[in-house]
Amino acid sequence: MRTVKRLYREVSHSWQQAAVFFLCVVLSVVTLASVNGFASGVAAVLAQDARALHAGDIIVQSRQPFSDALERAVEQVQAEGRMQTARYWEFYSVVQTPGDEGALLADIKVVEDGYPFYGRCILESGRPFSEELRSGSIIVERALLERLGIAVGDRLKIGRAELAVADVLVQEPDRPVSVFSFGPRIFVSRSDLERLELIEQRSRVRYVLLGKVIGADDPEALAARLQQAADPVQERVETYRTARSGVKRFMDNFVFFLNLVGVFTLILAGIGIHCALSAYLREKTGTIAVMKTLGATAGFIITRHGLALLSIAIGGTLVGLILAAVLQSVLPVWLSNFLPPSPGLTLPWGALAEGFALGVGAVALFAFLPLYRIQSIKPAFIFRNETVPPPRNVVYRSALAAVAALLIGLILWQLKEVKTGLVFVLGAAGFLVAVAVLVSALMALLRRIRRGPLIMRQALRGLFRPRSATRSILVTLTAALTVLLTLVLVEENLDRSFIQSYPPNSPNLFFIDIQPDQVEAFAQVLDRPARYHPIVRARIVSVNGEAVDRNRTRQPKRGDSLTRTFNLTFRTDLLEDETIVDGRGLFGADGSENQVSVLDTAAELAGVEIGDRMVFRIQGVPLEARVSSIRTRTSESIRPFFYFVFPPTLLAEAPHTFFTAVRVEADRIGALQGRLASEFPNVTAVDMSSVIRRFGEVAQRLSTVVRFFTLLSIPAGMLIVASSVFATRLARTREAVYYQVLGARNAFVRKVFLVESLTLGLAASLPALIFAETAAWLIITRGFEIPFVPLIGTALGLAAAATILVTLVALIPSWSILRVKPVVFLRQQTQE
Amino acid sequence: MKWPIWTRIPVLVLALMTAGCGSQTEGSPEAENRSQPPEGVIVAMGDSLTEGLGVPEADSYPAVLQQMLEERGIHWRVMNAGISGETSSGARSRLDWVMKLKPDIVILETGANDALRGLPPENIFENIDAIVTELKARSVTVVLAGMKIHPNFGPEYSRNFADIYERVAREHDIIRMPFFLEGVAGRSELNRADGLHPNAAGYREVARQVLPYVLDAIERHRSQGA
Repeated sequence: MRTVKRLYREVSHSWQQAAVFFLCVVLSVVTLASVNGFASGVAAVLAQDARALHAGDIIVQSRQPFSDALERAVEQVQAEGRMQTARYWEFYSVVQTPGDEGALLADIKVVEDGYPFYGRCILESGRPFSEELRSGSIIVERALLERLGIAVGDRLKIGRAELAVADVLVQEPDRPVSVFSFGPRIFVSRSDLERLELIEQRSRVRYVLLGKVIGADDPEALAARLQQAADPVQERVETYRTARSGVKRFMDNFVFFLNLVGVFTLILAGIGIHCALSAYLREKTGTIAVMKTLGATAGFIITRHGLALLSIAIGGTLVGLILAAVLQSVLPVWLSNFLPPSPGLTLPWGALAEGFALGVGAVALFAFLPLYRIQSIKPAFIFRNETVPPPRNVVYRSALAAVAALLIGLILWQLKEVKTGLVFVLGAAGFLVAVAVLVSALMALLRRIRRGPLIMRQALRGLFRPRSATRSILVTLTAALTVLLTLVLVEENLDRSFIQSYPPNSPNLFFIDIQPDQVEAFAQVLDRPARYHPIVRARIVSVNGEAVDRNRTRQPKRGDSLTRTFNLTFRTDLLEDETIVDGRGLFGADGSENQVSVLDTAAELAGVEIGDRMVFRIQGVPLEARVSSIRTRTSESIRPFFYFVFPPTLLAEAPHTFFTAVRVEADRIGALQGRLASEFPNVTAVDMSSVIRRFGEVAQRLSTVVRFFTLLSIPAGMLIVASSVFATRLARTREAVYYQVLGARNAFVRKVFLVESLTLGLAASLPALIFAETAAWLIITRGFEIPFVPLIGTALGLAAAATILVTLVALIPSWSILRVKPVVFLRQQTQE
Repeated sequence: MKWPIWTRIPVLVLALMTAGCGSQTEGSPEAENRSQPPEGVIVAMGDSLTEGLGVPEADSYPAVLQQMLEERGIHWRVMNAGISGETSSGARSRLDWVMKLKPDIVILETGANDALRGLPPENIFENIDAIVTELKARSVTVVLAGMKIHPNFGPEYSRNFADIYERVAREHDIIRMPFFLEGVAGRSELNRADGLHPNAAGYREVARQVLPYVLDAIERHRSQGA
């Protein structure tokens, strides 16, 4: 009971520092527990998405019937009870109405029971897919009905069989993976496969075997087993994580981002706790010295303060966990538009325990060193007002090493990947050294300013007063602001590449192979504004006289190559998402030479600049042209783009076809396609609407989650800024009093404090801006491997906001100080 | 590598039009630097099967054919005018361009891409018929390479498609090679993993199959000239 009272007295005496410390613990626990708890929930949901995009855990595919060796391996894995399988056969076929009135190319998928293992085939009737797809019946996309003029219940000739349309397909989970298709989908039951008589040796069929892992087996391990048995050329074994659909990359990026938020929060929390503790103990230095004078041992004092801190830490952790639990129950409701209902979205006990361990662990970690310093506080400090030097014995050093090791361990654990973690730790260490060096340089620079108005000189002197903690505050502030700015920049960049690739007006219907004499009539039937891009097929023969050779040409990223066939186009204007980065206009005024405008990515591929010469071979006929301009695309959106643009005079004679991309309301696509197909049978339409819709949804969902987590870490950062500035409160109170004692007016003191705070804010946020841009650039280009946009405007705005925040936080305590009468303050000081 | 697959859709769409981005060299198979001037020009007009998708230019069937002719002491120049992904409509549209190469013989191999997209056989027939009519009007000897579509496209469609070539050849009395991929289609050792395009050995076999029809065409051309 006495202990509790004593603890209460201890804490209440310097309640402001205790409150900041408490809040730091609460916020860091909320963020960490939420990030970790929610991340595992979201990761589970996304894994579900990824599985649904492939309809299974393991995907085996071939262009030929599976080899005997692979079949045996599959049988063995099945016999061991480790995997369930469902096969499907996918191929194109021209289907007909029974009276031969209509025929249409359809994308047929014959599926076994069990398909799909993940995701759902949604039907218009709302009935389950497995019940509707029986022997003798088929399920088709609405576009097929519209184009053939038939209805549900009608029959359709597929191969040698006649099957009845049982239902209409609305959504197929793994459709986006095949990306484009020349015809609408028809689902056929496996039991009708032989009746079709469409599969024989020369048939072009995609044989697919989907595997669903039973129990806790690792899909990668099972896939590796099957891969060993598979034919390396013909048969491909993949898992939903490795399949070439970009899903793995996408998932990894997302999980990496969440872990990054976790690490950043951990660092921010650490800095905050350390700041608050240092400030707390600094206030206690006098008291501790007095206690030592009265014979208290260091052990007694450390225990006493340790217990006080521990009780705050436990309290803060508990409150943080409760808040996190509340947040977890509210979040799914708030995010329900974006996240499907999932049992995974609750705070798991594991995450709770993890949060508790992290909360108390982090406090213990960051509190140890300041506490240990208590040892070195000597009674003489009461009189001399000295700073407490850090002890230099073995215990202190090994404690320092232990703290560093623990921190690294925590980061590695949070990032869950040793290599990335180590890179990150090294980067963070390098960053801290850089911050310290920069801050020292900056301080040296500021100290040299000896001229200027009195207010300015006083403010600067205030920053460099002997016992001020300016250096450590600047380092802390710069580090915290850098972390915050980096997080925002990374988030904005991710968001741009998620969302802006999918503007709501993206084209969803592509038409290829429109012949020149069809354009006018085609445009009339299409009846909507559209740009018709002429396409001329050509190869590149040489660049600046050097022949393009498969063996010599470098094979850069994305697997693109100069030796392939390119689609050239001709026009005189820029597309709406193009700008010229080099050159005056698309083509120069000099008409004596052939000219070509090159897209920046192609210029990089070909290694050309303005004025360079390229020779193309357009179906046997060579064409030499000089590069007249370099263009770039202003968006990564799904719009047509061309590497090489020529003036019409040069290419209009060459054989070309036209290509167009338009946005058509989903419910009108079938009818429009039908009309165009009957009038322009040679024009091929590619309907991307379902793919675009599906990817757009996923992108939107992820963007929301990413933004939310970034927002979560911002209050944590602000609190740290506040706590580190509060840490010098005592010192500035004294200063204000001395000014007043010396006869300064309140206005003068206020101005000095304002300039001082502003200098502090600027000195922290400007370097933070530079560090953050560098860090974000590294993370975006190296970690995520996407193009980086510096977003200077956003960054400057953030830096300005940070400066204002720091200034305000620094000023607020000064205001209350100025209301204190000097006498009262001085009396308090003496009493202490 | 940039961002996931959906941002790459334009690339995919364009790749679709290229029907795969082959990465062969656009070398010079023609006997341009031979001391002896060629007796005549053979233009191999067609799609990816003519262009030689997936193999170096020297392994494409026109290049191999040129070699085979040389080995027989026949000094004709074989020019590759194949475009991957091209349909019969495209071939018809660029006929004027092909005529700039001044061919004496044209090996016409087109229609496979039409069939892969399920285009109506009647439409394909009209295009090929128009091309052959035009070529004959310009006194070009035509070798028409017949094509078959995979059985999964349906019995009726496959039959109607295969008939196109016979009908055109009959109407115009031209040399017809019944099936361009005879002995190659469906044999995995002669094809790439896509199951559509031959590999180098496959193209060699194609050239071997084409050769007798080309010899026949050269014979015809010589007799017409005489």
